[in-house]
Formats: sequence, C-alpha cells, structure tokens
Amino acid sequence: MRSIGLPRHHLCFCMCFFLSTLSIAQLPQDEPDSRSAREMAPVDLSGTWTSVIAEDWRYRMVTPPAGELQGLPLNEAAQEIMNAWNPEADEAAGLACKAYGAPNLMRLPGRARITWEDDSTLKIEYDNGDQTRLIHFEQMPSANIQRSWQGYSHAQWVRETTIARGIGFGGVGGGIGEITGPLQINTTHLREGYLRKNGVPYSENAELTEYIVWRRDTVTGDEWFSLISAIDDPQYLRGLYIRSSEFRKETDDAMWSPRPCSAR
Amino acid sequence: MKTIMKKFTPMFFALLFMLTGRTVSAQSGTGGGDYEADLQGYWRNPLYEDNRDRGEGPYIGDYLGLPLNEAALRAAEAWDPTILSLEERQCNDYAADYAAHSIGDQAIWREADPFTNKTIAWRLRLSWMGGQRTIWMDGRPHPPDGAPHTWLGFSTGEWVGPTLVVTTTHLKNTWLRRNGVPRSDKAYVVQYFTRLGNILTIVDHIYDSVYLTEPLVRSSDYILNPAGRMGTFVCETVEEAPRDLGVVPHYLPGENPSLFEFFEVFDLPVEVMQDGADMLYPEYLDRLEQIRAD
Repeated sequence: MRSIGLPRHHLCFCMCFFLSTLSIAQLPQDEPDSRSAREMAPVDLSGTWTSVIAEDWRYRMVTPPAGELQGLPLNEAAQEIMNAWNPEADEAAGLACKAYGAPNLMRLPGRARITWEDDSTLKIEYDNGDQTRLIHFEQMPSANIQRSWQGYSHAQWVRETTIARGIGFGGVGGGIGEITGPLQINTTHLREGYLRKNGVPYSENAELTEYIVWRRDTVTGDEWFSLISAIDDPQYLRGLYIRSSEFRKETDDAMWSPRPCSAR
Repeated sequence: MKTIMKKFTPMFFALLFMLTGRTVSAQSGTGGGDYEADLQGYWRNPLYEDNRDRGEGPYIGDYLGLPLNEAALRAAEAWDPTILSLEERQCNDYAADYAAHSIGDQAIWREADPFTNKTIAWRLRLSWMGGQRTIWMDGRPHPPDGAPHTWLGFSTGEWVGPTLVVTTTHLKNTWLRRNGVPRSDKAYVVQYFTRLGNILTIVDHIYDSVYLTEPLVRSSDYILNPAGRMGTFVCETVEEAPRDLGVVPHYLPGENPSLFEFFEVFDLPVEVMQDGADMLYPEYLDRLEQIRAD
C-alpha cells in the first residue's frame, strides 16, 4: 500500500479524531415513529387543572370597562369594533360565548379537565363556559369543517433541538440533540370572538398557536403547566399577541363547577 | 523516553476525545442530561400581560392577584411612592424576580469554560436599570445564609428537559408590585426558562413566608429580536425634592389617602383587597357575585 506520508501513529490520531467527530454530524433522524400520540407523551397531562389568576386579574376575573385596551397590539379596525361592544346585543343574538373561544377560553378563570378521547385525540373540557376542545394528533382539518368557538386543533409533541457543547476545533464530543417536550397545538377554523370580555375582537381568520409546557414545582412537588398562546390575526392585530397562563394540577374533581357563557 | 512520548501522546489525546465524545441522539421524556437549549440573544419584552403594573405603574391599593398575608397588606398601605425620590433609592436595581416581570428587555449570553467549552454560566443583562445576573451552571453551592444579599441574588441553574430551572437566594427586600407590595429578603425564587422558537417564557415561583400565604406564580413572555442591541444604562442621583435629613416618606396605618382610589376608578368592591390567595382561583367568581349582590 502506498504511504500517504504520515507516520502510523499520526494516521491513528487522524482516524480517531475523524470517528469522534462523526457524532457531531450525526443529526437526529426523521424516522417514522409507530407509537401513538398517547404513547409518545413525555408527561401525563390527564387530570383536573385549576387556573391560577395572578396576572391580568382585572381583565380576567372581572369584565373590564368598555374601551380598555391596555397591553393589546390592536389596529384601528379592532378599536372600532371594541368601541361598539354591546353585551346585551351579543346575548340577544345568541353570541354570549364570544369570549369563550379557543383564543381566550383558558385565559378565563376556570378548571380544565384533560383526558384522552382516544390514542390520538386529547380532550380538554373547561368548566367556565362549559366548553370542550378536541386536540387531534393525526387528522389534519379538511376543507369543509364548520367554524366553531373552539375551531379545529391539531397537535404534536415538540421535539426541541438541544445543543451539547463540544471541545476544541469542530466541537469534538458535542452535537445536536432532541428532547420531546412541550405540546404544540395549532387551531384554525374559528368563529370570530373576543380576546377579552370587553369586546376585543379576533377574526375568524385568526390562527392560534399554543404550547403546553409541564413542570414540577421543585419546592412543593405540585404539577403545573404553562399555556403559552400566540395569536396571529392581521385583520385586527399589529403583531403576534402572546400570553401565558398558569395551571396547577388538583388531586380530584371536587371543585369542577360548570357555568354557562356570560357576555357581561 | 522522548520518542515514546512523541509516539503515544497524539494517540492518548485521540483516545481521550473518543471517550469523552457524547452520543447524539433523540431523547424522550423530560430529562435533558448534559443538553441545553440555546437561550442566547436579545429578548424584547412586549408587556402584553400586567401592562400597567409593569409599564406606567400600578395604582396604590391594587393588590389584585397576589396571595398576600396581613403583614404584606399593612406594609403596602404604609408605602408612599415619593420614597423613590430619596437620593439613596433613586438608582436601586430591580431584583431578579421583579426584573423578570417588569419593564425592559433582556440580553442573554453563555459563558463557557475556555478549555472544555462546558457552560459555566448564563449571563442576563437587563435594559432597565442595567442589572446583570449570573446563573451559575457549574454545580457550585449557594453561599451560607449569612452571606450578603443583593438585588439580583445568587442563582444556580440546571436543565430539566427543555427548561432551565434557576434557583435564586440571597435577595434584598424589594417589592412584588411597584406600589409597595413587599417581598422580604427571606424569600427565594425558582424560575423556569423555556424557549419555544422565538418565544422565551420565564415563569417565577416566589416563596416568601414573611409576606405570602402561598407561592406567587407568574409568567412573562419575551420575543427574540435579532437586531436588538443592549445600550448602556446610566443612573445618576439628583435632589428631586427638598427634604429634611432623615425623613423617609411613609403613611401611618389608616392615613394613606390613595388606598381606595383604584377601586373607585374601576368600580371594584373594596372587600377584594383583603381576600389574599382566595382571589386567585375560579371559585372566586362566586364570591364576587355574592359581594355585588350584597
């Protein structure tokens, strides 16, 4: 064999170096996963969760005055609709649930009861407004789906890209990895509704992206999740409107208390 | 001997690389091992939640959504906002827990060990008041109880799945809300940093047995702004109002003239102020209905 001009121990070093760097280039594979959404769940979200209203209390626990829009990225069209808010008219028109659509439902004080409807459908019942959301992992929305307060929700477990830091030239020993973590929910096919009970509008073309991020309180041991919601609605919003709401798991269903929608 | 060293040294280092090389693969579950998400960047604070509290400032008497005990209510009632005009207080920093849920953007960057490239610390710089936090990632212990307390405290972090869990101790007394609602220096804070695409959410769990009846849990969202640049924050004190030496603005019990203005402006029942943690939960809707009915 013709020598390439390197001493044998140097060649050995190069080989080892090459093999060790292979791990850096080895990106996670997109292999089809035969497990159901329920089997893939990194945490069990089943149970009853209470909202804990420590933020925006005055906009959530009571209905704020007409015209109050502080903290909202609204355009002029939205402000016109907001100024015309008339809860009596909404009730008379059978639209008392306008503030109970998916973009605002879990922002209201209430309890969420989460169960698996089947292996690929998560059901979220909400006692305030007596609403039910179905979160589909497999079926994508078809074109003829009727618009509704809760719209059509499609979900996936987020596979977060993570970084393992390597050392030296090329980051030896490091690389890119993945962790299955939060639940991402995308909701479309909504009926137009309210982002706050005082008539802040979203249009039927709004797209809602939510993340459920689970955690265990490192001190008390309680289970929590954050519901991070981002609403994209160019018709009424000047940019992505992001809110995060906190929920704590309860030991039982004792405080479950359905109440009907109220426009006031 | 020199020849042997020359021959085996490169092989030794190559073997070392092989042994320390970590397998890169997809993981399930919430355990992240040595992995970490990339939090680096300039994060814009859109102030979409608690906008008034964090921006122009809350009304005196607005204690809504806070699980306060009696001592906290009395301390808050005594608060006079002109205390902030005292020269020794004008440039007070924001505490680590309040800063996350206040005004201002954050810049985050990673500090690495120059040899191993392991993360030693995450650094956070706050655009408002210019405070700089360090979250130690190298496993060092927290200082003993008697160590000095600072505005930003002493923070250590660890990754739990995609979330950086940060524990902060040794904090100074400060406020939970910028209207005098107190947080004591006995408090400690656990924060959960989760990045989802261009959104960074920081959830605070604040434990304060002096002023809270249960942990205060609140979250703040930030949006990645690749064009953002952190400026310099310079604070210089001036004499804002003539005042006799040693005077500390405050109100004695029952003398705060602004305490109930908030409730009048927003047509809220004053009874709410005393209800502490009860007001955080959905069943409080029934209590509100009952108050209004009475």
